[in-house]
Amino acid sequence: MRSVDEAAAGGGGAVALERARGHARVVFRRTDGRDRLDTFYQQGCAKVRLPRVEPGRPPEAVLINTSGGITGGDVLLYEVEAQAGASLVATTQAAERIYRRSAGIGVVESRLAAGDGARLDWLPQETILFDGSALSRRLEVDLGAGAAFTAIESLVFGRTAMGETVRDVALSDRWRIRRQGRLVYADGVAIEGDAAAVLEGGATGGGARAVATILQVAEGAAERRDAARDLAAGLPGEIGVSVFAGLIVFRILAVDGRALRAATVPILEFLCGRPLPRVWHC
Amino acid sequence: MAMAGCTATITGTIMADGAVAPAALEDRVDPAALHRLLAWLSPSFPVGAYTYSHGLEWAIEDGTVATAAYLRAWIGALLAHGAGRSDAILFRHAHAAAARGDGAGLAAIAELAEAFQPSAERRLEANAQGRAFLGAIRAAWDAPALEGLAAALEPLEGPTYAVAVASAAAAHGVPVEPALHAFLAAFVANIVSAGIRAVPLGQTDGQRIIAGLGPEVAAAVAASRGRPLDDLGGAAFRADIASMKHETQYTRLFRS
Repeated sequence: MRSVDEAAAGGGGAVALERARGHARVVFRRTDGRDRLDTFYQQGCAKVRLPRVEPGRPPEAVLINTSGGITGGDVLLYEVEAQAGASLVATTQAAERIYRRSAGIGVVESRLAAGDGARLDWLPQETILFDGSALSRRLEVDLGAGAAFTAIESLVFGRTAMGETVRDVALSDRWRIRRQGRLVYADGVAIEGDAAAVLEGGATGGGARAVATILQVAEGAAERRDAARDLAAGLPGEIGVSVFAGLIVFRILAVDGRALRAATVPILEFLCGRPLPRVWHC
Repeated sequence: MAMAGCTATITGTIMADGAVAPAALEDRVDPAALHRLLAWLSPSFPVGAYTYSHGLEWAIEDGTVATAAYLRAWIGALLAHGAGRSDAILFRHAHAAAARGDGAGLAAIAELAEAFQPSAERRLEANAQGRAFLGAIRAAWDAPALEGLAAALEPLEGPTYAVAVASAAAAHGVPVEPALHAFLAAFVANIVSAGIRAVPLGQTDGQRIIAGLGPEVAAAVAASRGRPLDDLGGAAFRADIASMKHETQYTRLFRS
């Protein structure tokens, strides 16, 4: 099991200014034709809730940061796993707010795994970056043979409903997704300084304040390209869809968090084939 | 390893226009290194560079890039926040691994470079050019050091263009600073060339853009210095989306 200290060490000097710490780990296994809780661990400000789900739906793990947001020096580590043959949906209780920092960088590391033939949906709600915030985030995913994995990460720059503009941010986000040990997808977001100015450009955000990436690695993902394009064409925002290396990827830009959701919710429901966890609509 | 004798002095200088000249370029670049970079990164080197627009063709169709000024801004953003930034980081790491003959390390960087391509067409653009580049170098530019490295890269679709050029440069003893500068300058020139044909723009407009972006190329080279692979990334979301939307563009001159 990975430790919060290791996650903190990856954040680059955040440890000395540590403020809040949290570590949650949840593992489901498939036994006797049912998904069962195998490991449950929570420490510090990271909590996990396992709400009752409707019959026939996979278990849900709702991750909660009880410190109410992230600022410089905070370290959060989430570990979520669906073992061979199991299904699991992981989400977050609410949008994660990254507050103005006095010093240091907030570190969030998510390590996910789906065993052979497992299905894991990683559906956190959006991350909202306030002016003056600093976040270093990492998503590491290990997939077994025939595993199905769907994921979203949404970033909203400022409390767009209040007209906030983010002039100062230090953001680095990275995805590394491996299938049977081979890296099949990597992505990174890096913005230092005036995010609004960076996102103003025609090649960057075109003035957008919210961006999301949605990805699915699954059997048959490639066959859904045309349906995905048709869906994307009818949604708000600017949406690109591409299929390669056995995965389907969406990049989405929107003017604000609300418009982003108007695009991401239908796409996720299309990919997952069922409604989003209830917390998304609270 | 490989050919000795390609050297460059690593210092920087402030140019008259205020740009910081990249280390190594203002001084003597060894003629053998210069000869290679000019040949390998010229538009006539057989990688088919002219068939790729890196998503620009869609941005023109969309109206985002309608003039020379917008083209310059588009390419400047790619250097600061897009493939220019990421390729520069990957290039440095690939060059270092190749220079120390670390085939396994190079293969891991190449795998990351390939996985980092954001769309089907960008993957094609990076891999097809990289593969063609490596093939042409191995066929015509003898360097025993490259053979062992090429074997390590064999399982990939690519390697990507940046990794291929970095590997060849290292195997031929071409220092990383001028090699990376040449690679990014060629990236700029190629997109300008696509813009001249597709906007369309005049040749003089194109040269003005290339001239004007000199300091930005140098800045991208400098900004990548010392960056770990963990820093890969940027914010060129619309350039990525452009390459995705280009897949279904009705009239196309380019493969990306």
